[in-house]
Amino acid sequence: MKLGVDERWDLIEKISKKTMTFGRYKHTLKDAIGELTVKPLTGIPIAIAVLYAFWSFFGSFAGFFTDGFFVKLFDEHWLPWLQEVFPGAGGWLYYVLVGDPLADNCFEAFGVLTSGIFVAIGVVLPAIIAFYLMLTLFEDSGYLPRLAVLIDTVLHKIGLHGYAIVPTILSLGCNVPAVTASRILETRKQRFIMMTLLAIFIPCGAQLGIMQEVIPDTVGLVFLYLIIGYFIFGFVLNKIIPGRSPEILIDVPPYQMPMARNVGRKLWMRTSGFFKVAVPFVLLGCVIVNVLYLAGFIEWLGNALAPVFVGWFGVPKETAGPLIAAFLRKDLAIAQLSAIEMTKYQMVSAVVLVSIYFPCVATFMMMLREGLKELIGSIAVLVVVVTLYGGLLHLIWILLGVA
Amino acid sequence: MDERLAKIYFGILGAVTLAFGIADLLVTVGGGSLSMGILEIPGDAFRGGWGGFIVLSAGLFYLSGIKDITKIHQFSKVVMGSILVWIVAGFDIFAMITESIPGEETWFNTLEGFLGTYAPPYAPAVLLLPFSLVVVYYIYTGRE
Repeated sequence: MKLGVDERWDLIEKISKKTMTFGRYKHTLKDAIGELTVKPLTGIPIAIAVLYAFWSFFGSFAGFFTDGFFVKLFDEHWLPWLQEVFPGAGGWLYYVLVGDPLADNCFEAFGVLTSGIFVAIGVVLPAIIAFYLMLTLFEDSGYLPRLAVLIDTVLHKIGLHGYAIVPTILSLGCNVPAVTASRILETRKQRFIMMTLLAIFIPCGAQLGIMQEVIPDTVGLVFLYLIIGYFIFGFVLNKIIPGRSPEILIDVPPYQMPMARNVGRKLWMRTSGFFKVAVPFVLLGCVIVNVLYLAGFIEWLGNALAPVFVGWFGVPKETAGPLIAAFLRKDLAIAQLSAIEMTKYQMVSAVVLVSIYFPCVATFMMMLREGLKELIGSIAVLVVVVTLYGGLLHLIWILLGVA
Repeated sequence: MDERLAKIYFGILGAVTLAFGIADLLVTVGGGSLSMGILEIPGDAFRGGWGGFIVLSAGLFYLSGIKDITKIHQFSKVVMGSILVWIVAGFDIFAMITESIPGEETWFNTLEGFLGTYAPPYAPAVLLLPFSLVVVYYIYTGRE
């Protein structure tokens, strides 16, 4: 049966009369609170409180599992047991799998079965679960689109728009899905800026977890330095890269209570996805770095780059080893930094260097998939940023008289 | 909703919350921590500085919302003031819970150690928490 135009309109009217009620919309408390979260004057303190909640939960949850249980399990039981039963102490296989025979904790042992498993399970797993749980709650409650509206004006200053907050926050979990998420931005210019800033300035959840463990007192300082860099270099890139940065229209859904089933599914999907990417690289990173140590390559590289490390960045030449590991996993590299003797300020500089230095190999591959030209451009920006921003931090320490 | 009572209550709560927020920030800037009876103002940049700013904002939300408090847009500011207090206090309590369960040397804490974690002094937001919950009563009476 085919309906004419008038008949179709009659049918629409009949259906709408049966299914819709008409009247004056009365503002609810939820609507009013929703408005408060997008107005700058009230929305900014709320966003600051939300970030406080995020960080507070992250620290307490990850600390509970890592410091409360995993450190004891790995340092007091797993490491001594392995050191006792593994044959051939001092041999190359022992060095690769168990690590330093004299180490008394899994951070410093640096074997595949000690540091590799401890970093992946004991430190990164709780941090990643905490991060993705909070992210899912923000998404499903309807806060994330409001944050996008709130931050839209600021992100326009760096050539992006409010939705860039999605890849940015995702990147705090893992840079790999964040690079893919940068496709929600409309123009090549926006995608290039986003990918480059993510790869350089946003530490992943695993890295944050390790930073919280290794430099708990100064992790805020490192984070602040990275965020400032994100905006400064974003501003510069916006000025020098040709292309458009269009406006967006966001559909802001009403606030709602997240459903436990959906939260559980998303959490499982994201955490398992992260581990499929991360764990092989953590274990492989331990093997490669140990082999390079045994072959004397790291020592050679440290000596060769000593003028740059010591003179320009103000960090010990031994940082060469962790910087190689950083290409495989940045969390692993920071764990390795903790075993090098240095001052608090050198440690902050070294952690910043590991963060802004080359993206990890998984992110690198994702960026390559987005385009070779973009990848080469990002690496060129990265070299400039590492040189300038790393050197600037050393200069700040010199001016403060602590270098 | 009894408008006059609500105005007085949230006005006082707002002033106290604001004072606690300022005290948090001043103590943090001073570089120490302050303990008086059941009140302890943390001096670290995270809880004292960042948390202090949120408590101060909560105080301002309460105070800006008390004029025409029966109007939904004004009342929502009062509710938001309470939500900010719940965020800071809630995560302070969550931190207490996570610290109370594992022991120093052993897997689990002793009963004394467990209970001792919850003993006073408390941070300002935790002390404000029960008073901020009054807003729940007003949300429900407002609905009716």
